[in-house]
Amino acid sequence: MAEDPVHDGKRFDPMEPWKGVRDIYLDAWGKTMVDMVNSEAYAQATGAVLDTYLTVSAPFREAVEKAMLKTLEQLAMPSRADVVSIAGRMTNIEMRLDDLDAKLDGIQRLIVQAGTAPLAEPRPAHQRSKPPASKKTSSAKKAKRGKK
Amino acid sequence: MAEAPVLTDPFTEAAERLKTLTKVMSTKAAIGQTPKELVWTLNKAKLYRYTPVLPQEQRHPVPVVLVFALMNRPYILDLRPGHSFVEYMVNKGYDLYLLDWGAPGPEDKNLTFDDYTLDYMPRAIRKLKATFGVEEFSLLGWCIGAILTTIYAALRGDEDGLRNLILLTAPLDFSDKQNLTFARWTDERYFDVDKVLATFGNMPGEMIDYGAKALKPVENYVGNYVKLWDNIDDPRMVESWHAMNTWVTDNVPLAGGAFRQLIVDLYRKDKLMRGELMIRGQRVDLSRIHANLLTVIAEDDHITPSCQSEPIMAKVSSADKELFRVRGGHIGIMAGSGASKFTWPHIDGWLAPRSK
Repeated sequence: MAEDPVHDGKRFDPMEPWKGVRDIYLDAWGKTMVDMVNSEAYAQATGAVLDTYLTVSAPFREAVEKAMLKTLEQLAMPSRADVVSIAGRMTNIEMRLDDLDAKLDGIQRLIVQAGTAPLAEPRPAHQRSKPPASKKTSSAKKAKRGKK
Repeated sequence: MAEAPVLTDPFTEAAERLKTLTKVMSTKAAIGQTPKELVWTLNKAKLYRYTPVLPQEQRHPVPVVLVFALMNRPYILDLRPGHSFVEYMVNKGYDLYLLDWGAPGPEDKNLTFDDYTLDYMPRAIRKLKATFGVEEFSLLGWCIGAILTTIYAALRGDEDGLRNLILLTAPLDFSDKQNLTFARWTDERYFDVDKVLATFGNMPGEMIDYGAKALKPVENYVGNYVKLWDNIDDPRMVESWHAMNTWVTDNVPLAGGAFRQLIVDLYRKDKLMRGELMIRGQRVDLSRIHANLLTVIAEDDHITPSCQSEPIMAKVSSADKELFRVRGGHIGIMAGSGASKFTWPHIDGWLAPRSK
């Protein structure tokens, strides 16, 4: 009587011989492709394709950018350049806040050293000075101040 | 009495497999689940502290800061519960921090290695030291993160209290052009870096992803999916593939200024190893690195061949240094199935006595 293909542990897989052939083929193909991408010719070809794409697409990109800029102006909305400029300024403010935070940390350390026992255990999160506020929280604070 | 065989017809099996395939191809796995809190932030960069699981007296007093590459998400270090370097190190009693660079926007196109190593890293370390009252720390840099940590160690390491430096698959030496496919592709005869950056601002994540995958095109574009299909009935294998695929497809652009430095100053001119790299007017002199050094090399690494990582051993002034070779690929040595057996225990074994 034939063995039960399910209870035998290993089920008969009619695709198994094909898988072996497939793996050998993939292995050979993979090695060939690795050799190909490592060649000067490939580097030259991909460079040429990229260069052509950048050159050909440039006029279209410029046209889209100009049209977008005009549209945003019409709608009285900030352009990408405006947002980039604001983001740069925000980072500068963050750096200043970071320096102030460091100075406060230094003062706090001096107070602790002068007066009480040194900090042995890192302080729990709720007691620590908060990291520089993100854009969202700083704008929220400004809004609060505005209300007052 | 014998159990009745479970009867499944081939169509039902095929339908189940296709369902699994669709799920893993169209959804994101839950990754980076080790609990952590935000300690510091600047622009897109964030410093996290992983919540310790051991009481302070059982922990190593010297904290460890993980610095991953700029163009990939760092959660490869914390891929999934039970298979996470972060989880492993936290369980071993390390006070562990992660410097996550975030994704640069158009406003960050001029960020360079100078900014990352002299603005972001010193500030993050300053905050760490002030908040947790430590004077010394260890740095672990992986891939481009290892370039940043090396530059930082040479410029600020002694001043800031860097005790241990671990470099994983660090691309530092670019002199052997024959072995570097990226060097060939980005040769100035074929690749106009200024034109690319003038168009995109930052180097798009998709292009970086293509570059990494094209090094082994059949393996990455065909073999990877064949492997999934062959093991589609194995839930553990599928879970692992899903998590890795989630990370691989989550690309981050590389800031334009940093990309230009990587290509022009490193891949083309090999300035770091020649001692000619200038960071904000300071020469990066590798002999100024005195921290204990562990360099980990992946023997089957096709992205950073060993010839790029080895030469730093002769350049640094560290009295205590070790080169560790491990079987595996660029990512596999830290996130593959053998990572928890070889790489992680070795890092722990090296770091623990140096973290007292």
